[in-house]
Amino acid sequence: MIAARHRWYVPLLFVGPILVVQCTFLFTPLVNTFVLAFTNASTVGGGRFTGLDNFTTLFADAEFWAAVGRTFLYALITVPLIVAISTSLAILVNTSLRGSAIVRSLLFSPMVMPLATVAVMFQFVLRSDGLANQLLRGLHVISDPLPFLTSSHLALISLTLVTVWRGCALATLITLAALQNVSREQDEAARIDGAGWLRRTWSVTLPQVRGTTVLVAVLTSISALRVFTEPYVMTGGGPGDATETIVLYLFEKGVAPGTQAGYASAISLVLFVFVLAAAAVTWGASRRRAA
Amino acid sequence: MNEQTVSRGEATLRWVLMLLASAVVLGPLLWQLSTALKGPGESTTGFLSGLVPSDPTLDNFTTAFTQIPLAGYLANSAGIAALGVTTNLLLATLTGYALARIPFRGRNLYMAALLATAALPFEVILVSTLLVTRNLGLQDTLLGVVLPQAVSITSIFVMRQAFRAIPDELEEAATIDGAGPVRTFLGIMLPNVKGSLAVVTVLGFLDSWDHFIWPLVVLSSPDKYPVNVGVQYLSGAFSADQRVISAAALVVIVPPLLVYLLLQRHVFSGLAGGALKG
Repeated sequence: MIAARHRWYVPLLFVGPILVVQCTFLFTPLVNTFVLAFTNASTVGGGRFTGLDNFTTLFADAEFWAAVGRTFLYALITVPLIVAISTSLAILVNTSLRGSAIVRSLLFSPMVMPLATVAVMFQFVLRSDGLANQLLRGLHVISDPLPFLTSSHLALISLTLVTVWRGCALATLITLAALQNVSREQDEAARIDGAGWLRRTWSVTLPQVRGTTVLVAVLTSISALRVFTEPYVMTGGGPGDATETIVLYLFEKGVAPGTQAGYASAISLVLFVFVLAAAAVTWGASRRRAA
Repeated sequence: MNEQTVSRGEATLRWVLMLLASAVVLGPLLWQLSTALKGPGESTTGFLSGLVPSDPTLDNFTTAFTQIPLAGYLANSAGIAALGVTTNLLLATLTGYALARIPFRGRNLYMAALLATAALPFEVILVSTLLVTRNLGLQDTLLGVVLPQAVSITSIFVMRQAFRAIPDELEEAATIDGAGPVRTFLGIMLPNVKGSLAVVTVLGFLDSWDHFIWPLVVLSSPDKYPVNVGVQYLSGAFSADQRVISAAALVVIVPPLLVYLLLQRHVFSGLAGGALKG
């Protein structure tokens, strides 16, 4: 592109507005988070520098580490499920069969449904007399209703259902877009060599969309570590603390007036480290498998 | 896509599996609809036989609008969406244009900063953003809800791609005709990216309808809640009638669903152009 010469203020006309917004609502809070993490500030102000005190407390905070454990378990359940189901669905609907376009639209549709409202809906589905128990009892799989949301053993796993139900929509869309760009020549060559459908899909087609699979895994891991809406709406973190996740703990510690903004900022930073690490690990693991 | 003829066996298998997948997506929604259409006399807990309401009624929808403040929540959401779409359009267009066509010192650095902040989860700066918003006196206001999430990185990259695709000749011709940078932008460039403006509008609407944790945190008066927050707030009340909440939840889901079904092309090109190629 030929760089047109502009007067000095012209770029400012265009990037000025966003710089004002971002300096106020992005860069300032980001820097402030780093500063507050080393103070004992409350959410109504005050606070003085306390060095690493917040982090020392945090590393010994059993409730926090329990929340960390639950959040990682949440990721360990949802990420493989979403990757496997969405990849299968994408292969399934990657066809020109009559009517398949309608199925595609339908399968993608949960991604536009507001998550909090979906969670309200599933709260009813998973009640003792809700749809899930009606089906399981009607089909004689179980005799007594399962306490999906009221058992401390089951609640966290029940919440993952909602995440997977909604998360598969976008993941399938992304994977299908990649599948549609795969060339048919290699598949044809493998077919002539006598490779069956399963073999061709696994060894020829899927390796060509590996980059996309990794992207889906990274995006899903990050959103799993940030999980808040599902437990907040459906269980409030309970029963007991059974579904209290990192962000829910952060929310309890640093949002209400008078709570500990400094301590919550330290939690925020640890969350940030987890998110970056998860992205790096998912990325790295997939690279090694590819090599 | 698959052009070759498909064997009958494969077609049948695909159809069975596609119907199964569709049932998993549709099931909870249809059950919700069935619950919402049932009168107070009819059980919501029976198996399958009770799936079709024997005496369907719209009473629950009426109740949702008259006895719980659903209309107010919808109005709040509409206001938030309108302002959010406006800020997204304004900021994404200006920024995308500068990143695509106006060389300035530090442009590459700013691009890198934008990409880096895309990896920053909002929850990390939640507490500090709340403090900033409170200090500016914007807590519990519409501006306070919208400004911290005024523009998405995706919108910026959608607009950047669109402006990059415009041929240089068009800009040169405008310059030779004596048009200044602002007139070139408004008169020549903007009319050429209408499609992308539509994409940003659609994505901005869907985003603002889905936002949850920030409005929940920054708004202290329940009567200012958007629908997404309001419906879950009501569902937690002891007096909540499952039928009425179901009706309300459906009302919340329908607007983004309609936008998606009618404007799928825009949703997809936005997600593909911004999130993947950006």
